[in-house]
Amino acid sequence: MPASILQIEDLTIYYGKALAVDGVSMMVEDGETVAVIGPNGAGKTSLLRAVAGLTPSSGRILFREKAISGLKAYEISRQGISLCPEGRRLFPELTVRQNLDLGAIMRKDHKKVKTDLENALRLFPVLKSRAGQMARSLSGGEQQMLAIGRAMMSDPELLMLDEPSMGLALMVKESISTSIVEITKAGGTILLVEQDAGMAMDISKKIYLLENGRIRLEGTAQEMAGNPHVKEAYLGIA
Amino acid sequence: MVALEILIYGAVLSGIYALLAVGFALIFGVARVINLTHGAFYMLGAYITYALSVLLNVPLILSIIGGMAIVFLLAICLDRFIIERIRTTMINVLITTLALSLFADQVILQIFGPDNRNIPAVISDRVTLLGVDIAGQRLLSLIISVAVIATLWLIITRTRMGNALLATAQDPEAAQLMGINTGRMFMITMGIAAMMAALAGGIVGSFLTVAPEMGMLPIIKAFSIVILGGLGSIGGSIIAALLIGYLETIVAYLISFNATELVPLVVIFITLIFRPAGIFGKRRGF
Repeated sequence: MPASILQIEDLTIYYGKALAVDGVSMMVEDGETVAVIGPNGAGKTSLLRAVAGLTPSSGRILFREKAISGLKAYEISRQGISLCPEGRRLFPELTVRQNLDLGAIMRKDHKKVKTDLENALRLFPVLKSRAGQMARSLSGGEQQMLAIGRAMMSDPELLMLDEPSMGLALMVKESISTSIVEITKAGGTILLVEQDAGMAMDISKKIYLLENGRIRLEGTAQEMAGNPHVKEAYLGIA
Repeated sequence: MVALEILIYGAVLSGIYALLAVGFALIFGVARVINLTHGAFYMLGAYITYALSVLLNVPLILSIIGGMAIVFLLAICLDRFIIERIRTTMINVLITTLALSLFADQVILQIFGPDNRNIPAVISDRVTLLGVDIAGQRLLSLIISVAVIATLWLIITRTRMGNALLATAQDPEAAQLMGINTGRMFMITMGIAAMMAALAGGIVGSFLTVAPEMGMLPIIKAFSIVILGGLGSIGGSIIAALLIGYLETIVAYLISFNATELVPLVVIFITLIFRPAGIFGKRRGF
């Protein structure tokens, strides 16, 4: 049985008095892609931000069986969890290359950094031709690629992607999906938050459905695709 | 002849202003903090240099370095124990740092009294440059300013720490996701900027008066330079320091020395009315 890399137990998040995430428990195992789907405002982004240490939460978050709740965001990043955040959050006034380098800024294994950079550029070749351009000058799809590439440059044990398909044209979406599958094939572990349930099911093994801050359903991609509620509300099939 | 004098004296003045303003701009650019104790750091740099060199007979260069080191530590404590807690509320930062700056003035007034002091010059000879007679120390202050700012520029653009600083300046939350300890970046920035102000205080002490309230006018100048250059823009603040340094020198020569202190104030008004983002600012400072 593969070891659990991330285990979340009874995670609860309040914004002031508003309850955003209500007692969520879930698990990500080594080498698998897990997706959290659900409507806007269900608490998906809050969940990822809590794991990354950006949003305070109660409950337990275990990374490789060690509690990481309460650690600062930079400490969690150094432990091997990388978040590609909502809205990409690139460094707009730095070049594509500088953004990628910043992903690896804490690393000491310079040789491996070099090969990781080559891998990232192989995965997203367009970034190579844009290397000297300011990040803000990229198109939406290119920015998303750069954000994923930058998150990968820390060589994370767990890569968390927040809505990678948001605001992208269908073609670009598909190319991003393909890249995510490539990352999994290369042995990466991914926790994905995605509003596009169809895309999430195409690329993930396990799916959690989050509604109003609670897990409403969980199962394999096939099980979820066959569920009448998911079909009607998220896949648009009556 | 007057033109050459303006050229050289203006450069000296601009260099000192840049030393003060670049640090002030750096703190705002990286930590989004308008630090009104910056003038106090300049004043403390001068007084510590004075106390070490004149009262304790420590060699002058060591005294200046000592002033920089002590002010560096003070600035780090200020960031760690006070600003860290109030960073997100601009008005709290402004009031607190203003109060601390006045407090520092009073402490120095109690210890050293209101009399003007003088720090000896590292270079006491006068030199002639392009036919202009100038105190060696003034020329030295220009050389030091240029060297320090150039070094800072290299650190920011060429080193790993510089990259981390730039990332923190552009998006502190995203910087944390890269594993950067942004709190430490804020602290280092504050320390470096304060050290630059203390250096300025230590080297101008031989040709400008050292008095408890000496930090007040420079803070207004740093403010006007940073507003003109664009809040947070380091390149902008260097150019604005040149503009204001020369403007003041020209006013001193052509109108009256007494009118120079009006220059930064007029610049603040004009900039905020006609170009609130400054020359190089991407957005309004306020």
